[in-house]
Amino acid sequence: MRARPVAGALAARLPAVALAALAPIAVLACGNNPYPGGDDALRVLYTPYSAPPKTLDPQVAYATVDHDVLSNVYETLLEYHYLRRPYELIPALATAVPEPRRLPDGGVAYAFTLRPGIAYGTDPCFALGTPGATSRELVASDLAFGLQRIADPAVGSPVLVTFAKIRGLAAFGERLAARRAGEPGFAALRIDEQYRRAGPVEGLRVTGPYRFEVVLDAPYPQILYWFAMPFTSPVPWEAVAWYDGEDGRPPFAEVAVGTGPFRLARYDKRSRIVLDRNPDWWGARHPEWRAPSALYPADGEPGDAARGALDPRLAGRPLPFLDRVEMRLEKESIPAFAKFVQGYYDRSAIPKESFDRTVSEGRLGPEMEARGMRLERAVRPGVYYLGFNMDDPVVGAPAGARARKLRQAMSLAVDVPEFLRVFLNRRGIPAQSPIPPGIFGYDPAYRNPYRTLDLERARALLADAGYPGGVDPASGRALRITFDTPDTTVQSRLRFQFLIDGWKQLGLDVELAATSYNQFRDKVRNGAYQLFFWGWVADYPDPENFLFLLWSEMAEAKSGGPNTANFADPRFDALFDELKDLENGPRRAARIRAALARLETERPWIELFHPEDYALVHGWLDGVKPMGLPVPVWKYYAVTPDARAVARRAWNQPVRWPAWALGGLALAGLGPAVATWRRERRA
Amino acid sequence: MSAWLVRRLLWGAATVFGVLGFLFLLFFATAEPEDIARRALGEKAPPEAVAQWITSHGYDRPRVWNPAAPTDTMLFEHFRRMLAFDFGRSDADDVPIAQRLREGVGASLSLTVPLFLLGIPLALGASLFVAFFRETYIDRAGVVLAVVVMSVSILIYILAGQYLIGVLLRWFPISGFDADPAVLARFLALPVGVGLLHGLGSDLRFYRTVFVEETSRDYVRTAFAKGAGEGRVMARHVLPNAMLPILTHEVVRIPGLFTGALLLESFFGIPGLGSMTVDAIDANDFATLRVMVYVGALLFIAAQIVTDVAYTVVDPRVRLT
Repeated sequence: MRARPVAGALAARLPAVALAALAPIAVLACGNNPYPGGDDALRVLYTPYSAPPKTLDPQVAYATVDHDVLSNVYETLLEYHYLRRPYELIPALATAVPEPRRLPDGGVAYAFTLRPGIAYGTDPCFALGTPGATSRELVASDLAFGLQRIADPAVGSPVLVTFAKIRGLAAFGERLAARRAGEPGFAALRIDEQYRRAGPVEGLRVTGPYRFEVVLDAPYPQILYWFAMPFTSPVPWEAVAWYDGEDGRPPFAEVAVGTGPFRLARYDKRSRIVLDRNPDWWGARHPEWRAPSALYPADGEPGDAARGALDPRLAGRPLPFLDRVEMRLEKESIPAFAKFVQGYYDRSAIPKESFDRTVSEGRLGPEMEARGMRLERAVRPGVYYLGFNMDDPVVGAPAGARARKLRQAMSLAVDVPEFLRVFLNRRGIPAQSPIPPGIFGYDPAYRNPYRTLDLERARALLADAGYPGGVDPASGRALRITFDTPDTTVQSRLRFQFLIDGWKQLGLDVELAATSYNQFRDKVRNGAYQLFFWGWVADYPDPENFLFLLWSEMAEAKSGGPNTANFADPRFDALFDELKDLENGPRRAARIRAALARLETERPWIELFHPEDYALVHGWLDGVKPMGLPVPVWKYYAVTPDARAVARRAWNQPVRWPAWALGGLALAGLGPAVATWRRERRA
Repeated sequence: MSAWLVRRLLWGAATVFGVLGFLFLLFFATAEPEDIARRALGEKAPPEAVAQWITSHGYDRPRVWNPAAPTDTMLFEHFRRMLAFDFGRSDADDVPIAQRLREGVGASLSLTVPLFLLGIPLALGASLFVAFFRETYIDRAGVVLAVVVMSVSILIYILAGQYLIGVLLRWFPISGFDADPAVLARFLALPVGVGLLHGLGSDLRFYRTVFVEETSRDYVRTAFAKGAGEGRVMARHVLPNAMLPILTHEVVRIPGLFTGALLLESFFGIPGLGSMTVDAIDANDFATLRVMVYVGALLFIAAQIVTDVAYTVVDPRVRLT
C-alpha cells in the first residue's frame, strides 16, 4: 500500500521524463549543415585540409598545404599555363618570361620587368614605411628582398643550395650572420637596415622601380621554374619587420601579405582558414592588361574541351571566379569524405575505405555519377623507385658485369601492375624511366626492356651472372641481399614483402630491414645498404629535376646529395651535363633518350610507378584541372552556388521518425520496469 | 593537515621531476634531433638547413653531461624551462606553446566539460536505477549491456555515430567546430553523445557494484527496518555513503578535461589540446609534447590532492595527518 504514492508520483512524472529525453529533437530541426549562417549567395569554395600548415613564410614553406594557402595570396614573377601540358611558363608579376643573356665572364643574366601599378593587399604593417599607409606599390626591391631572405640564416630557407647559384647570394648570408654575431645591436636593427648594411648582392641588380636583373655564376636554365615557385615571391620588408611575434603581433610565418587574387581573412590554422577575394587585385582592377595570369586560358591540351575545362563561361574570362575559399581542418579522411558526399565540400580525395564504393575500373560508380560528380585523374610529376647502392660490392659497380646482370634480373621480377592493383587501387602508372608524364622527354610509347615481368629471362640473366637458381657459389646458399627501408608500418611491410616474393621466385633471399628514418639515414651515410625504396616529386617540371637524381655530382657518398643510389656513370654524366642546359627540342630529346638508354641497361634503379591522384569534384564546381605542382589554382575555380544549395537541401533532409521511435521505445521499456517494481513492493 | 599537505606536495614534486626526466629519456631514446628537424623542414631540406635548425633550436647541446659547462645541456635546459613555466615555441611551426594552450583549452573544455557534467548524473542515475532493480532482468540486462558497451572501441562509436546520425538520419553535422556558443551546441551534440554512450558502460558497471555493495550493509537494513522506502534508502542513505569511490573516480578525471580527448577531437574536428597532442606526436614535436605531459602531470597531482581533501568533507571519519 505504501508503494502506491511513490509509483503514482513516478507515473505522473513519466511524461516529463519522456519529454526531457526527446528534447534534443528540438535541436534536430537544424539538420547536419556544418556551416550555420553559411551564405548561399556568395561564390564560396569549401575545401578540407588534413594537417595545419607549418608556415606561411614564402621563403621557407615547402609543404603542399602551406603552398595551398600562400600561393593564392602571394604571387610570383612567372606562373604556369593552367591547362597546357607539358607545363609552360607564362608571365605573372613580370611582363614577360625573360631570355637568358650570356655575360662575358661566363655568367648568365635574366632581366625581369614588373608590371607597374601592382599594389599589396591592405595591411597595417605598411604604416612602418609611410605613417598611416595601409598598402603600397610592389617594387623591384621587394623581389630582391625576398631572394635575400633565402640566404638569411635566421630565416632558415630550405632552398639556399639552389639560389646560391645567384652571384654573391651565399656570401651575403655569411656577412649577415657574421655582423649579427660580431656587432652588438646589429641584430636589433630593423630587417631592411640589416640587409642594407650587410651590403649588396652582386647577382641581384635593382635597376629601376620596376626592373631588376638576376645574375647567375653559370648557366642554369631551370632557374626560371623557380621564379614560378613561392620561394621567390616578393615580400614587403614592412611585413617581416612588423610581424615579429612580439606584443601580440603574430610571427611572419602566420600571416600573408601579398599581391595576389586572395587575401588571408582568417587563419585559425588548427580548424579553419578563410581566404577572401582581394578587391584590389591588379588583375581585377586592370582587365585591359589582358595579363595571362589574370585570365582563364582560352586553349589547353587535347581533351580539355571534352572534360569541360574550356567551358565558354570560363575560357578567356577575367579571374578570379570565387569570392571566398573556406578551408576546414579534417584530420580524418572518413568524415571529410562523408561531408563531401553530402555536398558540404566541393572537392575531395577518395579515402581508401571508400574507394571501391566510389570508383571501379578507373571510372566513377553509378551512385556518385547520379549525384553529378566528376572524377579528376592526374598523374603527379613524380616517381617511386627501388634503388641499388652502386658502391656496394655485391649489387653495385665494383662487381661489374656480374652485378649489372643481377640488377637486370631483379628488375625483370618486379610486377608493378599487380603491385598497383593490390596496394594502390591502381592509382599510378607503371614507370618505364624516371621521367613521368607531363615532363619533357616522357615518351608514352617507350618500353623499357627490363621493366616487364619476365621470370625466364631473369633466371637466365642470373645464371649468366654466376648465381644459377639464385645461389651464391661462394656460400652455396641463396644470395642474400638486404632491403633497407625507413618505414616500419605494417602496410609498408606487406608492400615490401610483395616485392621480396617476386625475387624469391628467382631464388634470391632478400631480407627486409625496416628501421627508423634516422637509422636509415645513418646506414646511407655509412654506405651500409644495398637496396632501398624511395620516391621523388618534382619541384619543377623539367627532366633535369629527375635525371639529376642519378648524376654523380649529386651522389650521396660524394656530396650528400639526393643521388642515393651513388650512380656514377661517365657516359650518363656527359649526357646529363649537356642536356641540363639545353632548350626543349629535338637535340635535348635525343640526349634524354640516350641517357635513359644508359639507365635501361645499367639499372641503378628499378623504376616502379608514377603516382596518380584521384579527386572527386561536384557538378557545381568548374574549372578544375589538377596541377601536381605548388602553384595557385583557386583563381581558376568557379562554383555555381544555386545548384549547390539545391543539392544540399535535397540530399540532407533530416529523418526525424527514429527520434520519436526511440522516445517511444524508452517509454515502453520503463513500463515493465515500473510493473516489476510494483509487484515486488506488493510481495 | 598542513604537515600532510607539505608531504603531499613534496611527493608531487618528486613525481613531476620523475615524469619530466622519464619523458626526456623516452623521447630521445626514440628520436634524434635530426628527426625533429627533418619533420619540421620537410624531406627535401638540405643538410645545411637541418644543421641550422638544430642549432637555432638548441638541440645541438650535449644531451646530459657537459664537463665544460654543466648547465649547458639539453637535460638541464629541459628542466629549467619546464620548472620556470617557460614553454618556448613549438618545434613544428615555432608558434609559442603558451599561445597554443590558450587557443586549444577552450575547445577542449567545450567538449569535455559537458561530457563530464552530463556523464556524472547519467552514470549515477542509470546505476542507481539498475541497483534498485538488482537481481532482476533489468539489472542483468543492464550489466550485460554495460559490458558490451565498454568492450567496444570508441573508434567504432565515433564512426557508427557519424554514419548513423550524420549520414543516415542527418540530425547533426558529421564534424566541425565553431567558437560561437550559439551554434557550438549542434557541433558538440554528436561527439558528446558518442562520448557519453562510450563512458556509460564502464561507469555503470563500476557504480552499480559500489551501490550493490552498499545496499548489503547494516545501515541499509536498519533503514529499511525503520520503514524507509526503497527510493528514499537509495537516494538518502546509499548515495551519500558511496560518495568516496564516486569522488575518487570522478575527480581524477578533471585534469583530463583540460588535456582534451584525443580521438573525439581528431575525428570531430575540434581544435583542442587532445588533437594538438596527437599532432605533436605525429610531428616529433618534443617542445609541445613535453608541455602537454608536464601540464597533465601537474593537473593530475593537483586533482589527487583535491580528492584527498574532499574525502574529509564527505566523510568526517577521514583525517589527513
